[in-house]
Amino acid sequence: MLRRLLALWEKEWLALLRDVHGLAVLFLMPAAFIVVMSLALSDAFKDDAARQAEFAVLAVDDAPLARRFAQSLSGDGFRESSAPASEAEARQGVRSGKPSLVLVLPRGLGRALAAPAGGPAPALTLLADPALPSLQLAAFQQRVAGAALEQRVSTLLEQAGAGLPELKRAALNVEVLGQSRAQRPSSVQQNVPAWLIFGMFFVVLPIASLFIVERRDGTLARLAAHQVPFPLLLLGKLAPFFVVNMVQAALMLLAGRILVPWFGGETLALPERWDLLAAVAASTSLAAIAWGLLVAVCARTLEQATVIGGVGNILAAAIGGIMVPRFVMPQAMQTLSDYSPMAWALEGFHAVLLREAGVAGIAAPCAKLLALAAALLALALFVQGRRRVLQSGP
Amino acid sequence: MGTLSLEGLSFRYPGRAEAVLDGVTLDIPAGGIFGLLGPNGAGKTTLIAVITGQVRGATGRIRLGGEPFERVRRAQPRCLGLVPQEHAFYPMLSCRENLRFFGAVQGLAGDELRRRIAAVAAFARIEAVLAHRAGQLSGGLKRRLNLAIGLLAEPQLLLLDEPTVGVDPQSRAFLLESICSLAAEGRTIVYTSHYMEEVQAICDRVAIVDRGRVLVTGALADLLQDGSGLLTLHLRSPLPSALAEAWRAQHALQDDGGAHYRLQLRAADEIAAILAAAQGAGCEPRSIAYGRRDLEQLFMQLTDRSLRD
Repeated sequence: MLRRLLALWEKEWLALLRDVHGLAVLFLMPAAFIVVMSLALSDAFKDDAARQAEFAVLAVDDAPLARRFAQSLSGDGFRESSAPASEAEARQGVRSGKPSLVLVLPRGLGRALAAPAGGPAPALTLLADPALPSLQLAAFQQRVAGAALEQRVSTLLEQAGAGLPELKRAALNVEVLGQSRAQRPSSVQQNVPAWLIFGMFFVVLPIASLFIVERRDGTLARLAAHQVPFPLLLLGKLAPFFVVNMVQAALMLLAGRILVPWFGGETLALPERWDLLAAVAASTSLAAIAWGLLVAVCARTLEQATVIGGVGNILAAAIGGIMVPRFVMPQAMQTLSDYSPMAWALEGFHAVLLREAGVAGIAAPCAKLLALAAALLALALFVQGRRRVLQSGP
Repeated sequence: MGTLSLEGLSFRYPGRAEAVLDGVTLDIPAGGIFGLLGPNGAGKTTLIAVITGQVRGATGRIRLGGEPFERVRRAQPRCLGLVPQEHAFYPMLSCRENLRFFGAVQGLAGDELRRRIAAVAAFARIEAVLAHRAGQLSGGLKRRLNLAIGLLAEPQLLLLDEPTVGVDPQSRAFLLESICSLAAEGRTIVYTSHYMEEVQAICDRVAIVDRGRVLVTGALADLLQDGSGLLTLHLRSPLPSALAEAWRAQHALQDDGGAHYRLQLRAADEIAAILAAAQGAGCEPRSIAYGRRDLEQLFMQLTDRSLRD
């Protein structure tokens, strides 16, 4: 039995190593996705620098006040740019998005802020680029209100002979829990596991295509004539593709460590618990291979296998937060996402890579993936068991 | 190895009204080549699949030397070899890798495997292409590799399903000679083919099946014996109408066109007079046949001439 199994493994290896397209799907595709998506989404995971919106402050009668406003408004995603010469120039600039925001201070604002009795101050005008995200606009509005209040308090305190402490930045340290490295997850940290999972599930294509070729060419019939049991045939495919998935995992992590930084992105931070990472990868692999075997048994033609396997993977990826992060999905989609095996796998990888979770943190996603693998394998055997023609024919 | 007996084998694909095999009963004696003939869809390949155990749910019994075939196969897993109709190997593997794989799944290993690969490669004359990818071979070499794989475990019962389809005459002649030499070593060979001349050339016994039933079975020589008194004539030129009319009245002459005629004789001694009359009318005979029909005639007579696909 072992001799037969070794022969099946060797055959599967040789066939896979000579399948250039299959190798490209398994290794190049996820690596390319990791690099491209890590770079493309790098700003979406950053707090400041690259996502800064430019603003300018225009005050026709009080340049020092404009300067003070600009200082108050700078930072936390907003960067000052040179002030336009007039409101007309400011409007023209904002229409083209340069800068995204212009705060126009009305005449007499400085005097109004300094008036001890208070009273209605003249209204400020904020010109905003329509392409600016609404959340960023709302944040800037809040900053303008804060800056106006700061100027008023500062002026009054100066008049009273008192100084104003540094209020520009709130004394607030943000700590993202579970991160001993004291940094928020980066784009590469999100994208490497996501596209690794996507690539792992694509073993469905080489598994199914070789199986269908074997059935079409009569090799499965020949193996059946030699009384090779069907479960042994499946086992003969499981082990090589498990190794392929593990190599994929290692190479994709390496891509996150080397390739993405080489292209200018951030470096993937690796966890200390390699064993947990391997456990999540192994569970994902078994689910992916079992899915591939079921498609292989059910599909009659290569076209069917490509459609069922490929489209199934893309749908599972779209639902499971691979293509679009789950946190940007509406609640209904997030609920639906709970049913995608890729979401389970992603949850497991995030537990290890982002939250540095222990065994308890990966137990649920791994259990779900292993249960799915067992169910899909059982279904594949059941479907084959109901066939009257065991390996070939109609 | 004793006689392979098929007793009342029946099989129906799910969802199909007609049975593919309908009570097939055959005795295939040990040693020699047994031809299994039939039009497309007659059930030949399904019968092979039932014998090899590729289909479930067939009824009837298969015995080898009086023992249930399953029991024999459990005791001697290498007793059965199959050469399917398709090129049943891996095109992306080399010939040697294919032979090694199919040998290993049949339990061969080490020196025995190497020896068998060398032996079947020499037998099929594929030694020169052992390192070549199987998918890049010519049609004839693919057929020879297909045959070589079937011989790896030295099976005593070899099932050959259309083993010469799509090859040139040289390769066909080589394959037929090879198959005859296998039979000469004492193996039992079941040979399915559409090519009547092949079956007539190499088989000792035949069965003609159609629509899942055995229409006739027996020794080839017996089946080709024709006691109906039919004389077939092929002349150099068509008969003059007067002679043709006379023979139509006396011998139920049938004109098959192209100076081919069939006459019904009452006795063999009428042949001399027939030939003399033809020569007298200036129609020299090209060929004559009496008391024996060819396999194609028998096949067409039994299976009728309607198209099947």
